[in-house]
Amino acid sequence: MKRLVAAAALVGLASVPLATSLISAASSTFTSQTSTTTPPTAPEAARFLTQATFGPTDQSIASVQTSGIAPWIAQQESMPVSNSHVAYMDNRLAFLRLTNSFAQVKAVDFYNSFWKASVVAPDQLRQRVKLALSEIFVISFAAPEMSPRGIASYYDMLGTNSFGNYRAILEKVTLHPMMGNYLNMIHSAKENLATGQHPDENFAREVQQLMSIGLYQLNQDGTVKTDAAGAPIPTYTISDIEGLAKVFTGFSWYVTDPTVAGTLVAFQGSHLDANSYVTSMVAYPAYHSTSAKSFLGVTIPASTKSDPNGDLKIALDTIFNHPNVGPFIGKQLIQRLVTSNPSPAYVSRVAGVFNDNGAGVRGDMRAVIAAILTDPEARTQVASSSPTYGKLREPVVRLANWARAFKATSTSNWWLIGDTSAPVSLYQSALNAPSVFNFWRPGFVPPGTAMGAQGLVAPEFQAVNEVTVAGYPNVMLKTVYAGIGPTASSTNRPDVRSTFDKEKLLANDAGKLADRVNLLLLYGQMSPLLRSRIVGAVNAIAVPGSTATQGQIDKALANRAHIAVFLATISPEYLAQR
Amino acid sequence: MTMSNLDRRRFLRMGGALSLLGAGTPFALQLTAAGVASAATASDYRAIVCVFMVGGNDGHNTVLATDPDSWGRYFATRNTGTDPIALMPVGTSPTPVGQVSPVTGRVVTPDTPESWGGVLPIVPSVAQPIPAGTNATVRTFGLHPFLGPVKTLFDRQRLAVVANVGALTQPITKADYFPNSPAAPRSLFSHNDQQSTWQSGSIEGTQIGWGGAMADTLYSLNGSNVLYTSISATGGALFLAGHTVEQYVVNPGPLPATLIMGTQGVSIYNAPIDPAVVAAAVQDTSTTSTIANDYAAVVKRSIAAAATINNAVAQGPATTVPTPPNYVNPFTGLSQVNPLALQFQAVAELIAAAPQLGLRRQVFFVNIGSFDTHDRQNTRQPDLLGQLAQAFAYFDATLSNLGGADLSSSVTTFTASDFGRTFTTNGDGTDHAWGSHHFVMGGAVKGGNIYGQYPTLGVDDGSFLNPDMVGNALIPTTSIYQYGATLGAWFGVAPPDLATIFPRLVNFSTPTLDFI
Repeated sequence: MKRLVAAAALVGLASVPLATSLISAASSTFTSQTSTTTPPTAPEAARFLTQATFGPTDQSIASVQTSGIAPWIAQQESMPVSNSHVAYMDNRLAFLRLTNSFAQVKAVDFYNSFWKASVVAPDQLRQRVKLALSEIFVISFAAPEMSPRGIASYYDMLGTNSFGNYRAILEKVTLHPMMGNYLNMIHSAKENLATGQHPDENFAREVQQLMSIGLYQLNQDGTVKTDAAGAPIPTYTISDIEGLAKVFTGFSWYVTDPTVAGTLVAFQGSHLDANSYVTSMVAYPAYHSTSAKSFLGVTIPASTKSDPNGDLKIALDTIFNHPNVGPFIGKQLIQRLVTSNPSPAYVSRVAGVFNDNGAGVRGDMRAVIAAILTDPEARTQVASSSPTYGKLREPVVRLANWARAFKATSTSNWWLIGDTSAPVSLYQSALNAPSVFNFWRPGFVPPGTAMGAQGLVAPEFQAVNEVTVAGYPNVMLKTVYAGIGPTASSTNRPDVRSTFDKEKLLANDAGKLADRVNLLLLYGQMSPLLRSRIVGAVNAIAVPGSTATQGQIDKALANRAHIAVFLATISPEYLAQR
Repeated sequence: MTMSNLDRRRFLRMGGALSLLGAGTPFALQLTAAGVASAATASDYRAIVCVFMVGGNDGHNTVLATDPDSWGRYFATRNTGTDPIALMPVGTSPTPVGQVSPVTGRVVTPDTPESWGGVLPIVPSVAQPIPAGTNATVRTFGLHPFLGPVKTLFDRQRLAVVANVGALTQPITKADYFPNSPAAPRSLFSHNDQQSTWQSGSIEGTQIGWGGAMADTLYSLNGSNVLYTSISATGGALFLAGHTVEQYVVNPGPLPATLIMGTQGVSIYNAPIDPAVVAAAVQDTSTTSTIANDYAAVVKRSIAAAATINNAVAQGPATTVPTPPNYVNPFTGLSQVNPLALQFQAVAELIAAAPQLGLRRQVFFVNIGSFDTHDRQNTRQPDLLGQLAQAFAYFDATLSNLGGADLSSSVTTFTASDFGRTFTTNGDGTDHAWGSHHFVMGGAVKGGNIYGQYPTLGVDDGSFLNPDMVGNALIPTTSIYQYGATLGAWFGVAPPDLATIFPRLVNFSTPTLDFI
């Protein structure tokens, strides 16, 4: 159906000119990084895995060293999805109902499912990218009436599509009932000129501002375009939001019962069943606006026939083809994985791959992720040695780093780490951001800091304050020493813990112990000062001689491992991932 | 102006504990240095408390014009949709749940306005001027039915309303407003940018909030404990960040600071680990990473302050601050912790401890939310307003008897929010808009009145043209700058400093209002 009035404008958006020099630069990136002549060293592999996974392990370091970085990425991107959070929730519910027939799954069950997958899933790159995507396409338990199983399904959806096309992610996010519930597109009804009722504008606004194009027109390198007066040029106005809000009317819950499908009561959510929370929203043409809809240079003319899905396709295609998407999404993914302040050239290289993966495909996330992680600015020491390079590690990533590096296990195998949202805990749980603006904004400039004085952003600092910087080491103190989670009756220990078996074998030699912690947590870049602190603290714990019991010797060796790991995990140089 | 080294040393001596503030503190002060001009002789104590209503509160359902002309347009506009959000007229009795409302003819549930009864009348001490566009000859007003305690405070003249406040860089008329108009502030309707604008005057990326900037001019009154000048009980807030003064974050509830275990006192792991080693490791500012050093500076502040602040509230009048009662929804009877009241508890304790810490000027930040009621507004906004009202009453009562002393005239509490919301409904909620109404509370406030111009209500149609609205949004008639400058003047900030903190204040003929 040809309904585009401003077809020329859409074509104009679609045919983004590609700077061939940038594409070739990106290609050369691939070649230099895929070189098989110089396999990465163990520290190089560990540093890469710190960016690309929930943390390096002995095995993953060896794997990256064997295959090389680019082949390892390709291999990870081809791995099937290894887990289902919905399945975890369903299994958990069945388990809970063994002892309580009224039990329901809650947010904390999803958090535990997140911990399990993040720590043990073999498709680590997917898991890590999934978390990054969840901080761009934000939904949250903090909103009312969010279904834990529905949120599990949303997170599964992000994982399934992590290496697909951005256009597919955009559509699946738009139609997921949990996004519909979170940003109120679900059961948004068409305008009523008689009463003045207008369509809900929430999703129409935030999908543009936060999930696709942002507020200001961007150059391919992510810098803001300005007008003759030097002012940034907005990407949209309130009238674009009003136009898109009309497109997003007439979508609501999927209902299994065919006898009520499409009815007003179903539209309003009165016939929900288990499928409703995990199935894409469906069109209810009677409640979809048929008046003219103008947005982003495109006009869908008024129509006598309601066509929710046709209008949606035009809207999402228009957003997808906006030239801002590559730099806007590319830069944020760089910030989530590699560094808070990427150079414009780095952003431009990644955006170039977003615009064209080399085979003429726009929005190929597989190519975008590979471009981010193999870029010279991600890989070379020259770039990373800048004092302002890198990013503050996210709190949930820190805990996962510990669990993976030191082979933590869950006695129950449910990974009952629990809710870590409180300021005196980690001040973060996956999919529990305070608002659609995430735990932190990509543009957050922390006041009163050296980063801020240089005009640099440090997004994760939005969650850093005098309370939270105390909460984190307090969590690590207990976690490293005893473990985390409820006490398991079989061990009389917290459910998730490490026994530091490998570290204890080295603990007679403080230097070797420090070196191992250095590789796994600091990719070989531990400062001499921190190393000497760790060595000193380890040596201050005497290992008793041959007259002692094995238990006494074990305890001393374990304490040596504990203090080494604890001092490393609380050190600012560990927290600032480079 | 950049300070010379001499100035900087003098400045450091005056600040005393400024070394706590970390290596990154910028000294490019444009304000009167260290409060020399700004009320430096004041011997009293004063605090301002910002209550941020996160998400954008719907002012149209908070402070209402109840005269027939205004009410008629309001009710017709909002009594529509799948879940109508129009409140009931003054004097309407609550309709019992399950019965039919005589006003709307609908069956009532606990989440419909008919069950709450009419809006609560308030009578301003000075009659509001009649704005252009309305046919009203006298304007009358009411508050949301969940704001009973706020009405009591208004009637007792301890609280005032400031009408239609919003982001403005200059007075603007309807004709001057169009999307991206140079006369309009940037990024209107965007949450993060308007939160930033309310707290600092500029969009996201700004690093100085006006609470912190005010504190910059007066912190020398706080002797060696300048660190406790600018305090949030709800995480970091741009409002509190100054050029010199840095914000300090405490826990809500009775115990402000969280100690880092293992850094002092007993050793950890039943092993001979020197706490000094742990303390040194966790706050190491000597790394080669700026990000690491910035983080460590916060840790350093946290460690330096924790024992002092917890000790200060563990003695004297701070110990008399009562635990806030639970919030009980007046219509459903459901009881829950009131998070805003817990933040006020922490603030009240710190105010009580101020003399002991030698503090004479403080700026606080608390919040409540989310007010972003795109849908289910009938469920969410009343509960939040009820919590706000209960917390205000708790805070006023607590400050009025702080260990026997009445501090309420020394503390002024005001509300702020991202923006107001659309006058029209989207069926069960409202969307982002612009101007909104706000509350100011305290013994120093000239309460029982409505300040600024309460606007004409109603969306344009063929026969009606509202000069006070563009589309569905109120055009603010009072700027955030005027609102802030009024509070700043009371706080003791000198006029030249106010002009620096609010550089566009000069664009307004009345830089300060008369509410305090």
